[in-house]
Amino acid sequence: MGLFGKKKEGGGSNAAARMYYASDIHGSAVLWRKFLNAAGAYRAGVLVMGGDVTGKVVVPLVEQADGFHVDLFGQRTVVSGDAVEEMEHKIRNNGMYPHRMSAEEVSRVAGLTEEQREEWFAEVMRRTFDGWLALADERLAADTRCFVMPGNDDPAGVDDAIEAATKVEACDGRVVAFGDWTMISLGYANRTPFDSPRELTEEQIYERVSALADEVGDMSRCIFNLHVPPYDSTLDTAPALDENLAVVMSGSAPKLIGVGSTAVRELIERYQPLLSLHGHVHESPGATRIGRTLAINPGSDYHTGRIAGVLLQLKGDTVRHQFVTG
Amino acid sequence: MSSDAPGLFTRRATGLVREGRTRDALFYNLLWSSVGLTFAFFWLFAAFYPGASALLAFLIAAALGLPGAFLYAMLTQLMPRTGGDYVFNSRSLHPSIGFAGNFSYSFWLAVVIGVYTTYIASYGFGAFGRMMAGFGAGSGWLDFGDWFSTRGGLFITGTVVLLLSAAIFAFGGVRLFFKIQAVCFGLYLLGAIVVPVLVGLFTSHSSFVSSFNDYAANLGVQDASAKLAASATELGFAPADFSFEMTLRAVSIFWFIFGFIFSSNYFAGEIRLAKRTHIYSMPGAVLLAVLVLLCLVPTYTHVIGYDFSYMLGFADPAGYGFGAGAPAYPELIAIASGSPVIGAIAIIGFTIGLLTWLPQTLMLVSRNMFAWSFDNVMPAKLSYVDPRSRSPLIAIGVMLVLSIASTAIYSFTTWFTSITALLGLTLPLLVTAIAGTLLPYRHPELVENSPYSGKVLGLPMLTVVGGLAILGFGAAIGILLWDPGSGTSLSDNSGKVLLVVGVYLAAMAIWWISRAIRRQQGIDVDLAYRELPAA
Repeated sequence: MGLFGKKKEGGGSNAAARMYYASDIHGSAVLWRKFLNAAGAYRAGVLVMGGDVTGKVVVPLVEQADGFHVDLFGQRTVVSGDAVEEMEHKIRNNGMYPHRMSAEEVSRVAGLTEEQREEWFAEVMRRTFDGWLALADERLAADTRCFVMPGNDDPAGVDDAIEAATKVEACDGRVVAFGDWTMISLGYANRTPFDSPRELTEEQIYERVSALADEVGDMSRCIFNLHVPPYDSTLDTAPALDENLAVVMSGSAPKLIGVGSTAVRELIERYQPLLSLHGHVHESPGATRIGRTLAINPGSDYHTGRIAGVLLQLKGDTVRHQFVTG
Repeated sequence: MSSDAPGLFTRRATGLVREGRTRDALFYNLLWSSVGLTFAFFWLFAAFYPGASALLAFLIAAALGLPGAFLYAMLTQLMPRTGGDYVFNSRSLHPSIGFAGNFSYSFWLAVVIGVYTTYIASYGFGAFGRMMAGFGAGSGWLDFGDWFSTRGGLFITGTVVLLLSAAIFAFGGVRLFFKIQAVCFGLYLLGAIVVPVLVGLFTSHSSFVSSFNDYAANLGVQDASAKLAASATELGFAPADFSFEMTLRAVSIFWFIFGFIFSSNYFAGEIRLAKRTHIYSMPGAVLLAVLVLLCLVPTYTHVIGYDFSYMLGFADPAGYGFGAGAPAYPELIAIASGSPVIGAIAIIGFTIGLLTWLPQTLMLVSRNMFAWSFDNVMPAKLSYVDPRSRSPLIAIGVMLVLSIASTAIYSFTTWFTSITALLGLTLPLLVTAIAGTLLPYRHPELVENSPYSGKVLGLPMLTVVGGLAILGFGAAIGILLWDPGSGTSLSDNSGKVLLVVGVYLAAMAIWWISRAIRRQQGIDVDLAYRELPAA
């Protein structure tokens, strides 16, 4: 599939827009700042974050008499003074949440039930995410549209935070418009072995997206922003996992399978939107055609400090794309 | 923090615990590094290195490769699952350098694939036919085996196995490849490593010589061991004392293992919680290969011996009944065992190890091509992945054509000796070592936020390890340029050395030309690499 591939035939308005899409930054503060800066750096008028914005790990900084005790990358260290903030910065940039705690609080959290601990996580994450949204208010130019939706890994509080934001716009589960184009979004994924917070059956995914798509008249200028990629599309290839969530090996290499959504595939085949944007499967970046629809997953390398994204040049019912790693 | 308090809290989320097992990564590296083929190389080329100690040579090669293994493990930890040295070098140095290294590596892999295909024909199928004749199954088997060592036999067999490798991806896809590989790996371990060690342990040299004579008698030559000695002596063989110089030169052979034993960067965990997978699997594979060779070398020398191997290298094979060529170690082990069944296991295991390497290499190079295409440096078609087979079929097709050309070169010409490609494969490693050394200065934020932010003697840990890797890779390049047996010595093969440098420089030129063409098309290739401000 072409990077800035061949232009499609088409007519209609000559209106144009440059859009930047990225996904799955998983709590990396560096990547969030880069995402916001992409508007200026790539001269993109529209930014879309396709889900999984929050992290997966909280690292306690346990207060003791000699400083804060931290266990990072399997190495235990004691930090004090300015080094504490440096350590917090390091943890944040790795997509994890630093959290200053007493030894008693660590023990208390360790003793929580899984559901209680998920709530505690959501609260810690929400505080950080609110700060991100405040930064977006400061950074984004008045004429920049910035859409953010939660993905399957994001807890419930993320929706409320986005709804309450000033500059960032919510798009999950609704139809939004910019210029001549409409975009319908869904952050939920099909069932995963991980039992993540936002999962639906294939039937539920189909129902939710088709209800949105039926509201849109012109599919030739419609964009699907669906977190999970279509099944068996080359955008959804991931290692198979066993019941212990370990990679299934075949010989000396991982066994690779399609983990995308069959419903998303059916939806694209049925509605044939101009463009379909996806994330979720970090290790399967690429672009492919499903009928007339250009489907893209830019992948994610969030722990490397670089944001994998795609630049999209929209013009009428045509689109060109270029993968960028910023 | 109390010792039993959790160091971190994790939540329910996808991918959190997904990480390749260290054991699997270890075996992957071991299979890729071709221990069996290299062991065959050493004894086939023993006449080039009279007085060399195999034990010392591979230990030196391992020492030269070990810092590089640590560096690759650290870089993979820093930038997992992102395209290996192409990404390391593009980010740390310049995209054109990253591309040139990766292109050069892929080019020389395409060249070296001809070694594998011709060895499969000659020391796989050919050796099997000769073994059957040697154990009395009839001269028809000898004719069958000898055909594989003819120029036409080498090319046709090589082309067929390459087409079959590509067909695995075209018709069965990656899934079929993995299934086949799973079976092949076990057979390779059994035949190419376990059986030779056991036969070497339980067979005496005199018993081997007796079996050798019986075997050759079935091939039409009586008292073959005496005729082997006579022919070897006539052509210059003399028992040699230990020579450190020859041992050092012979490092070039074992570099075929230790320069390429860190290819498991696919096994990247999603979160850098633990360093063990890469640190254990890459340097660990070096140690595992050393262990395997520590078993193979003494058992082989116990049953076959240095002098016998030197004589096989010097003598005219027709003089002792092996007209199609001197036997490689699997056939010698077959002879020593005195059993066609054990011999078949050894030869088939060895052959399967070589066969498995072909689709692995097609996959690896096609993955590189995919990355170049993804960044707009190469045509978009190269990144096409067939949805049915999940294989990058166009990239595999391109690699298939190059591989068949390489097979033709090895079959019909003497342009390259078996390990000539090593210099071309090692040069990009040296560039990666330089990139790793400079990474803490070029991208301090990436290193400071990683598990490798520590310092050694005031220098960044990565710089120190990178510096040692430069020394290791640099020394290996020095030996390859010095050793006439490498096929790339400055004294005897300056043209090939220029070719290695030329391929690298040509690749850099390709990057800049591609960038200019894309600019004319309205595409700014630089955007693919330009780092966004993180402030």
